[in-house]
Amino acid sequence: MHNTGVTNKAVSQGSICVRGFFVTVLLLLLSNCTTTRIDEYRQGETGIESHESIVILGRRQGSTYETREQFVECVGDAVSQGEFGLRVIPEIEFIDALFPWFEPRTAPLRTEDLQALMQEPIVEQKMAEYGIRYLVWVDGQTERSNSLGTLSCTIAPGGAGCFGFGTWENDSNFDVRVWDIRTFDNVGTISAEANGQSYMPALVIPIPLIARVENNACQSLAAQLQQFVRGE
Amino acid sequence: MSKTVIFASRHNAINAAVRLVFTVMLVQFLVACGVKAIVIEGEYPTPALRAIEANVGVYYTPDLKEFMFIEYTDEGDEEYAISSGQTHVELFDSILPGMFSSVTVLDDLDEASRAGVDIVFIPNIEEFQLGLPQKTRLGAYEVWLKYNMQLLSPNGDYIADWILTSYGRAPTESFQSVEAGVNEAAVGALRDLGSNFSLGFSSVPEVRDWLSEFQQ
Repeated sequence: MHNTGVTNKAVSQGSICVRGFFVTVLLLLLSNCTTTRIDEYRQGETGIESHESIVILGRRQGSTYETREQFVECVGDAVSQGEFGLRVIPEIEFIDALFPWFEPRTAPLRTEDLQALMQEPIVEQKMAEYGIRYLVWVDGQTERSNSLGTLSCTIAPGGAGCFGFGTWENDSNFDVRVWDIRTFDNVGTISAEANGQSYMPALVIPIPLIARVENNACQSLAAQLQQFVRGE
Repeated sequence: MSKTVIFASRHNAINAAVRLVFTVMLVQFLVACGVKAIVIEGEYPTPALRAIEANVGVYYTPDLKEFMFIEYTDEGDEEYAISSGQTHVELFDSILPGMFSSVTVLDDLDEASRAGVDIVFIPNIEEFQLGLPQKTRLGAYEVWLKYNMQLLSPNGDYIADWILTSYGRAPTESFQSVEAGVNEAAVGALRDLGSNFSLGFSSVPEVRDWLSEFQQ
């Protein structure tokens, strides 16, 4: 009777150890899956008044990729939040209001083009209505590479299940250029590089351990952009 | 008794599951045999431009209003039937009021002289091309459009005639349906068409000549 109690205690301790091991592995995987690097290159003085706003636009001129609308929205949301949140005009609202001047084929590619565009009275008037001080261009993408492993799922009348293991790497590279509407200068560039490994083990149920690479790039870029525009 | 009930219940559950699987397979089979209908829907902004002081009459041909594109499988069977006529009309209904001070929609070309319009505009779609990612392996839905724009005087005389092409793409996303991808690419192509048309209108040599004559 006494021996059985010892055995139960040992099993219980073993179970705690196994669970602890899995939790530790899980935490390690979750905490070490993304690295982000931000570089800032300042070319001019910045600063913004409380009545002024910025607009963040995605570059979509490339033939191989285009900056995702969701990423631009994520940066915009993050820049507008917090104690020092800035007034950000939503991308779609701005592009629609200034249609057809900021479409993929017509958007200004250089600050000189913006200066020429501002000669259009209707464009200047709309910019003034929105109180735009800085035009921020986001250009980049997230690519998936080094995909390994196999995962197969089966559906049968008796049930469904998956088995296998998959892993892949995500690399995000984004450049942000800040144009000053008053001086028509590119006042700075911020670059964000983020990468991380995601895992998908499946033993009946797939357990996605996804590295939030793009989200990390977005949050880091937004924090840096907020400081940059405020002149810090 | 209790065991019999459990057995019956399990038997029913298995029967129900088998029936469900067969129903799903039947639906998939029927869908696979049929053509998927896609109706393009979008919203288009009015251009922020200095409007030309003229009353333009626009005539939408039945071919444009009922425009449909059929995408075929590699075996030559009809796969998708894409209706975009209505959205083409909506595009010009949004674009033209930003380009001209007054717009009149004409039901018939003969109405033009009676309606007191200064010029008649007829958009004609010549080509619609579709690129599906499952065929092109490019990771995006793509749409190309080729338009023939015609300008006539109210009594039907030729003023201008020019070709415009446009392109729209929608990168493939997880859990995105083919319908949503095609719609996004088509709306992108139509926006591109609208922006090129509105910005390039006054640069067409024949239009420029007509404008300088009209504005005198």
